[in-house]
Amino acid sequence: MSVTYGYTGKILRVDLTTGKIWTDDTMKYKDYIGGEGIGYKILWDEVPAGTHPYAPENKIAFGAGPLCGTGVPCSGRTTITSLLPTSPFHGAGSSHMGGYFSVEMKYAGWDMIVLEGRSPKPVWIRIEDGKVKLEDARWVWGKGIFDTMAMIGSQMGKEAQIAAIGPAGENQLNMSVIRTGTSHSAGGHGGIMGAKNVKAIAIKGTGSVKVAATPEELMALDKYMMSIIGANNQMVIPTVPLPWAEYSDKGSRWTGRPGLYWGAANPPVETGECNPADMQSVGKRTQKAVFDLGAGAEKYTVRMGGCAHCPIRCHAQLNVPQLEKYGMDPNVSNTCVGWSGPRGVMSLVGIKEFDGNGADSSIVGNGIGTTMVDDLGVWCNYGQIGRDVKWFYQKGVFKRVLPAEEYASIPWDMLEKGDARFLIDFYTRIANKQGELHHILDGSAWIAQRWGLGDDYWDAKDNKLWTRGGYPVHHSNEAGGQVGALISCFTNRDSQNHSHMNFIGNKLPIALQKEIAAEIFGSPDALDAAMDYKPMNEAKARFVKWSMVRGRLHDSLTLCNWMWPMAVSPQKDRKYRGDTTLEAKFFSAVTGVAKTEAELDKDAERVVTLLRALTVRSMGTVDMRNQHDNTNEWITKADKDKPQFTPGTIQMEKTDLELGRTMVYKLFGWDEKTGAPTKATLEALGMADVASGLGEKGLLPV
Amino acid sequence: MDTTKSALRLAGTGLAGAFAAAALGCVSFDTRDGKKVKVWATSSGAIVHDPNLCVGCRRCESACTIKNDGKVSAYISRIKVSRNLNYGVMGVTAAYQKADGQHGNFRIVGETCRQCSHPACGDACPVGAITADKKTGARVVDAKKCVGCGACQRACPWGIATVDPETDTSTKCTLCGGDPNCVKNCPTGAIKFYPWEEAEALLFGPDATSGATDAVSGATA
Repeated sequence: MSVTYGYTGKILRVDLTTGKIWTDDTMKYKDYIGGEGIGYKILWDEVPAGTHPYAPENKIAFGAGPLCGTGVPCSGRTTITSLLPTSPFHGAGSSHMGGYFSVEMKYAGWDMIVLEGRSPKPVWIRIEDGKVKLEDARWVWGKGIFDTMAMIGSQMGKEAQIAAIGPAGENQLNMSVIRTGTSHSAGGHGGIMGAKNVKAIAIKGTGSVKVAATPEELMALDKYMMSIIGANNQMVIPTVPLPWAEYSDKGSRWTGRPGLYWGAANPPVETGECNPADMQSVGKRTQKAVFDLGAGAEKYTVRMGGCAHCPIRCHAQLNVPQLEKYGMDPNVSNTCVGWSGPRGVMSLVGIKEFDGNGADSSIVGNGIGTTMVDDLGVWCNYGQIGRDVKWFYQKGVFKRVLPAEEYASIPWDMLEKGDARFLIDFYTRIANKQGELHHILDGSAWIAQRWGLGDDYWDAKDNKLWTRGGYPVHHSNEAGGQVGALISCFTNRDSQNHSHMNFIGNKLPIALQKEIAAEIFGSPDALDAAMDYKPMNEAKARFVKWSMVRGRLHDSLTLCNWMWPMAVSPQKDRKYRGDTTLEAKFFSAVTGVAKTEAELDKDAERVVTLLRALTVRSMGTVDMRNQHDNTNEWITKADKDKPQFTPGTIQMEKTDLELGRTMVYKLFGWDEKTGAPTKATLEALGMADVASGLGEKGLLPV
Repeated sequence: MDTTKSALRLAGTGLAGAFAAAALGCVSFDTRDGKKVKVWATSSGAIVHDPNLCVGCRRCESACTIKNDGKVSAYISRIKVSRNLNYGVMGVTAAYQKADGQHGNFRIVGETCRQCSHPACGDACPVGAITADKKTGARVVDAKKCVGCGACQRACPWGIATVDPETDTSTKCTLCGGDPNCVKNCPTGAIKFYPWEEAEALLFGPDATSGATDAVSGATA
């Protein structure tokens, strides 16, 4: 095989039913970039419509892209693609994890790992460079993820990077994760590993990723990038006024400042001034513990962690000694919804003071929730589990559907009192598939059927459920009005898109944001001030398309869409402009295949359209507009006393959103009536095989 | 600790002469009892990693290998963070929750080349491929001479010298000609280059901050 730059050129294929292990050529899939794109192409080519996610015929791909492993900032992510068990029609989707797994995979010589079939007995997969072996996993089956990793690490060697499932995945529960490292979870695909009888994949790689550019060229590009990068979610101004900063915003994730510490480091480490010109403080500018858990978390912060080759450290790593009272490791780490999702189960009254934990009860409770979920491998469905528990408890659903004996055995008094020890009981039950309660992990679409939940469940604003597909908001109408709302309409799980959020949330003054938006999307009206949304327009549609395209691009390259794209920067002398060509610049430098920003976006557009085609095929209808893209009622129902398009409401308007859908369909070249990809568009994208596949099934719009 | 111990046993040539030669790299002498002894110029300094400040991003490893190898790798990086990231230098134990590493107390110990006064790697090399760099004093591998036998890798008490399996050539810290790329690219300032006396104290002294001293107890320069 000839030398490939960026790509290793090889995909590892494993048939667990027969134990057959073979190598596939990455480059035959290069039109789909890598990671997510190639994963979707494999699903399209090899997994027929109607396949159950837990059937041996389903495949699961662990994907990296050409930039992963090259040191490009924020390139440590793994994109996992497969069918989604939570989806009512088992649509395709991706789950993502950070950490170090995909980088190790690349160094072992693999761009992707694709599993199919079902092993006759529990196994874990040992990968040491080109050597691949299925190992007996009976001794780790049933174990939590932390111990599983340690036990496999003790056999493989301390440097092995491992992705594993916990009991939730083993039990084939829809809401389960695949986890790597200490705190990186990919939600939604854990049960597929369980169904394949695979406990873990462990990798050691002694190889390298080759780069086409000279070292000097890549280092110069990296240096430039490091001047553009902001804090977590590409927020580019600090929380407090600092000598170097023109602006400040209390809500920023650029929390680093004089007087704020990693308080449990020894000795404590001051985050300091974090001047963007100082390359050696970039890793301190996001003190995420205080952002996620409040000021009280500062003293528990040991350091900030995160992913391979990312200078922005968004995982707070805490030592909370109180956790030992509950038999837990005092060291706990996570970020964002990795904290708020698991603890959300307490949202009936929140976490109150409990068990003598005083003012730090909330931090201890967060630690309990995250530890339970990360060990058992439960997925919170982007926070839905908490809203569900609250709703089902308040509306008497639990009382109605759980057997009386089971209901009586659950310590509801703890939930009512805000005692976070409830989380220990709750997660132990559901992850171990106990009682009727565990069906809460089937996901909203399935429990709605099983537990007879009606329109009131779907249409309640507080439940934040986006569609009957069973997934919730994820930077939706609260993030740029129609921009976030529309982005949320095209996926089969929460949209996980931050391209728009990293722009809208950058904390620059709105006038400046609009100026930059005009340069990228053709009009300042692409963006409205928060909570002051105006009707749909073409620029917003372009913003939607760009966000979707970049999301798929990042998950294919693989770059972190929680940081990228770089539309803005912290640099006053650049007038806070970022550089949206950076992905293409890095792609060209690393692979040696020169691509412009527009050309690379076109490749990613192919990935967006392939996901769309997969959805059409699994739903068996072209009517995406009415069968897939429509939202729950609460989104378009006016707030009391606040009509749509008046300040203070995020509520959308029905015909306006339909207009938005039409505009987005048009930009993608999809049928304006149904929203399905047309033959002409598919062929123009070089996807004639997809067009004929849909055509054979009568799934091309007429 | 320094070159004097073996220098005292030299025969024939005056000490001043030995140092003059060593300042240009390393030279070999015969001792009175017929053994060969190499005298090495002291390195200008060494790189030291601070486990308290490290955030485990491994940008040092990519910076090291892109600059020195024109490709990116963790295994042959001359600064070793990846291998200790999960469970610390000691590796997986039943007490992993309390031990170093991301699965324990989060402490991340990066190991760096100590540019030893008596480098075991250089002394072990059967073809003289490892010498002190004329400019920096770093113990560097001459790729043209290296036969990839792995003697240096087996000899280094700190596990730094590593044969690249893709090229069959040994890799070890070169100090990047005096401007170490790992140091420049660390986003928290956890990696620093220190002049020799300071580096020696930090790496080998009683209050050594580098976790590398945990690795091989009792080892000295």
